[in-house]
Amino acid sequence: MIFNTFDYYILFLLPAALAFKLAPIPWRPWVIALSASGFFVYFSLRGFGGVLGALCLAIFIWECAVSRLYRPGALICALGIVQSIVLLVIFKYWNYFTGLVLRGPAAVRWHWSGAFLPLGISFFTFEFIHYAVDRYRGKTVPGSAGEYLAFILFFPTMVAGPIKRYQDFLPKLRAADATLLDVRVGVTRILVGLTKKFAIADLMTAFTNHLNATDIARADRRVLPLWLLAYGIKIYFDFAGYSDIAIGSARLFGIVVPENFDWPYFRSNIAEFWTYWHISLSRWLIDYVFIPLGGSRVAPMRIYANLIVTMFVSGVWHGAGTNFVVWGLWHGMLLSGHRIWRTAIGNPSPTTPKLIFGWLSTFVMVNLGWAFFCMDLPTARFFLERMFLG
Amino acid sequence: MATIIFLKHVLDYLGGVVDSPPAGAPRILSHPAFTGILWGVLAIAIMMFSGQTSRFIYIDF
Repeated sequence: MIFNTFDYYILFLLPAALAFKLAPIPWRPWVIALSASGFFVYFSLRGFGGVLGALCLAIFIWECAVSRLYRPGALICALGIVQSIVLLVIFKYWNYFTGLVLRGPAAVRWHWSGAFLPLGISFFTFEFIHYAVDRYRGKTVPGSAGEYLAFILFFPTMVAGPIKRYQDFLPKLRAADATLLDVRVGVTRILVGLTKKFAIADLMTAFTNHLNATDIARADRRVLPLWLLAYGIKIYFDFAGYSDIAIGSARLFGIVVPENFDWPYFRSNIAEFWTYWHISLSRWLIDYVFIPLGGSRVAPMRIYANLIVTMFVSGVWHGAGTNFVVWGLWHGMLLSGHRIWRTAIGNPSPTTPKLIFGWLSTFVMVNLGWAFFCMDLPTARFFLERMFLG
Repeated sequence: MATIIFLKHVLDYLGGVVDSPPAGAPRILSHPAFTGILWGVLAIAIMMFSGQTSRFIYIDF
C-alpha cells in the first residue's frame, strides 16, 4: 500500500516536491510539514486506523512541542524517550502483553478490540528517541519548530524508513535544491523499487502463501526449503524495493537520505550481513542499544550478552509475537557465535573457499531464521521439524 | 573478484544508488537516451506485473 498507489504520486509526491522547489527557502520545511500532514491524514483514513488514526497526527505536534524543551543534559529528554516508548507499547503491544500476562475474564476485559497502529509508529518512534538522546548528549542542534516537524513528518521516510538522523537531515533540508540529476536518479530509483516489488517480491507470494500448517503437513518435504527461500527473496526485494522508492522520493526534493541495503545476501558472515541489511536500523540499534549497554568495550561474556540483548530488542520491535522474539534471539546467538569464532581463529586472510563457505553458511542461517519471522512459533517449529526430520 | 565488484558498481549505477558510473564502464550508460530506454523497460516490467496482492511487509507490521 501507499508507495504502490497512484494517489501517493499524484496527490502527494509530485505536488509536494514541486511546491518545495518553488517555495521561498524559509517556507520549505512548512511545505513538507503541511503536505506530510495531508499524507498522514489521507492514508490513515484509507486504512491505518481511520479517524482515530488520522487524529494521531497530534502525536507529531505534541512531540514537536516537547522537543522544543530539550536541552543538553536535561531530564525532559529522558521523559521524551519514555513517552515515545509508552506510545509504541500501547499501540503495538497492548494486546500481546495483556494476552501474555492475563488469563480468563481479566484478559477479555483488558483486551483492546479496536486496536490499530498509527501510520509509521514503529519508525517515527526511532526518530523521536534518537532526537531526545542526541539532544541530551549535545550531539545535535535544536533547529526551528518547522524544521523539526519536517524531519519527523518527512513523508517519503515516515512510514517505514530509512531511519534518519536530525544532524544529518537538517543541513540537507536547508541546502535542498533538486537538480535534473536528482530528478533522473530519483525517478530511476522509484522505478527500480516498483520493479523489485511487483516483478520479484509479489511473484514470490505464490510460494510463500504455502507457509501455513495445512500446506506444510501435506507438502513433499523437499519443497519446504524452496518455500522458505522464496520468503527470503520476497522480504529482501519487498523491503529493498520500498527503500528504493523512499530514497528516490526524497531525492525529488533534492534530499539524500541514508541507504538501507547494500547487497546483504552476498556477505560472507552474519556480522557483515547485519552491516548491510536494513542499515539504518542496524546503526540505530548499535548507537542507542548496543553501545549504551557497553558495546564491545567490556568482557567477552558481556559482549555476547549485549549482542543477544540488542537483537532481542530488534526482534521485539519487528512484531508483537513470540516468533519475533525467537527470530531476534536466533540472530543474537548467530552474532555471538560469529564473534566467538573470530576470537578463536584470529583474523586469517580470506581465501576463495573460505569466502564461499562463509557466504553459503550465512545465507542458509539467515534464511532458516526467516521461518520464525514469517510464521507463528508453533507453525515455524512444525515447519523446521518437517524439513529436517520428515 | 575485481570483475564482480565492477559489475556491482555498474548495477548500483543503473539502479540509481550512485550518481555516476564506475571508471571503465561503457559511456553509453550515462547517455540520456539510455536512461530513457531503462525507464521504458522498467515501466513495462511494472505494468506487466502490477495488480497482484501487494502489501509492503514492513509497513504497519
